[in-house]
Amino acid sequence: MAKIIVACGSGVATSQTVASKINRLLKEKKINSTVDAVDIKSLDNFIKDADVYVSIVRTNKKFTIPVINGIAFLTGMGQDKEFEKLVDAIKKADAKK
Amino acid sequence: MQMLKEVVNYILSLGAPVFVPIIMLIVGLVARMKFKDAFSAALTLGIAFTGMTLVINFMTGAISPAAQALSHRTGITLTAVDGGWPGMAAISWAWPYAFLMFPLQVGINIVMLIFNWTKTLNVDMWNVWAKIFTAVMVSYISGNMIMGFIAAAIQVVLELKAGDIWGPRVQELTGIPGVTVPHHITLLATILHPVEIVLNKTPLLNKKVDSDFLKEKIGIFGENEVMGAIIGLLLGFSAGYSISGSLTLAVQSAAALVLFPMISKLFSQALSPISEGISEFMRNKFSDKEVFIGLDWPILAGRSELWVAVIITIPILLISAIVLPGNAVLPFAGIINLSFVVAALLLTNANIIHMLIMGLLTSPLFLYAATFFAPYITRLGKSVGTVSIPHGMMLSWSTFESPDFRFLAAFAAKFNIWAILALIAWMGLFYWLYKDIDRQNKKVTITNDQEVDLS
Repeated sequence: MAKIIVACGSGVATSQTVASKINRLLKEKKINSTVDAVDIKSLDNFIKDADVYVSIVRTNKKFTIPVINGIAFLTGMGQDKEFEKLVDAIKKADAKK
Repeated sequence: MQMLKEVVNYILSLGAPVFVPIIMLIVGLVARMKFKDAFSAALTLGIAFTGMTLVINFMTGAISPAAQALSHRTGITLTAVDGGWPGMAAISWAWPYAFLMFPLQVGINIVMLIFNWTKTLNVDMWNVWAKIFTAVMVSYISGNMIMGFIAAAIQVVLELKAGDIWGPRVQELTGIPGVTVPHHITLLATILHPVEIVLNKTPLLNKKVDSDFLKEKIGIFGENEVMGAIIGLLLGFSAGYSISGSLTLAVQSAAALVLFPMISKLFSQALSPISEGISEFMRNKFSDKEVFIGLDWPILAGRSELWVAVIITIPILLISAIVLPGNAVLPFAGIINLSFVVAALLLTNANIIHMLIMGLLTSPLFLYAATFFAPYITRLGKSVGTVSIPHGMMLSWSTFESPDFRFLAAFAAKFNIWAILALIAWMGLFYWLYKDIDRQNKKVTITNDQEVDLS
């Protein structure tokens, strides 16, 4: 089962809003995965055992796992495209396991 | 009628962990959620209240004896325990009229968009709690609930106007187009704006600092468990605890700071179906209008300046709490000072030195507001029903957001002449800020357009 993390300033509000939405969308598609809201201050700790990172900020930092644009899930703009990317990434992560 | 009143009173007497889920269930069903989903959201809200009560009680239980020992030993009396914004957000939902804030915020936003009074479409429903909190503080202090709602309504308008000026700046700082941060914590820019003008005229303070590098070095001190452990250990030693006692307090404090966001997340989880529904409704309504979509501040959290400024402010806040005469608040769960940093980041365009100066200058403001509002926060906390605050202790919030606006609004609501005049002067300052940032935004767009022309 793929593990998805969503990070925001304290891992409470914005990240949880996005996580809840993604969770619902994935359930509708009958895709099994866990979606967790985490604190961006401790991102390095969480990213180690995650398969996909949904980001709501833009940084120059490079990550070893796929990064999805989480803003799309808040504004609705480009949401379908980002969700497709997310589903792809989950499938790839599941295939590896 | 009498019957209805008795029923309502009975339900309210059950305490927030029971009556708020009941309200939530009704709201969910009215919003045509499936019963199963509405029930699960409502129950999650009850769990969130119960969990938050546990954490607040655990925190006050661990910290109060240390704070009291500190006071006996040194004479430094810090009798208000800091529940931070997660604690405040939680107890705000215990206000019986809390849910009315959704239609108020959404209604004002729709009217202002229709009349072109704003370009901001705020879909951030989490921070509805900040309007509830304002309404509670103002109504407790003025004794008038209507005044609470009026203050909250003014806050909604100010947030949207602030959203209009921050939009271009958010894009400049994050590269994300079409969004803004209509958050009341940015309203602190109203009083920081004159400071920024002075700082801008001081050439030595306009140096570039590599904040990415700094964040890499000191970032660990911003992590909840590390920060909690350090504060707990320092508090233990200053209170004269033994080494084992201090170490225990350090681990307990780390636990409290890690648990706060975990529980707070449950509120957001419970409210997410409602907030999703509302934001979708708003976006569809104005889909053909050019707007800034208003989001919560963390879209700025990728800026390392923000975290560097916050972490360096932690010791400043702790020291201020000890040396400021009359301060009663022991900074703890609210010590990550977002209350100044978001405004400072936007206002200074991420000038880290300016931001730090603003952090230093505003610490007394937050601590004194926290001290002033502590009795009212304690009263709200006790209304949750099961929050127990030891005798002689209070609950507060060391980085009390929007201290200037909320303080003035509360006293203006009591029809104090000085407060009304001061609030009018504050509005004048806000107007100045609005005009100035708007002018700067236009300048930026013009230069950008010219660049396009040249290519």
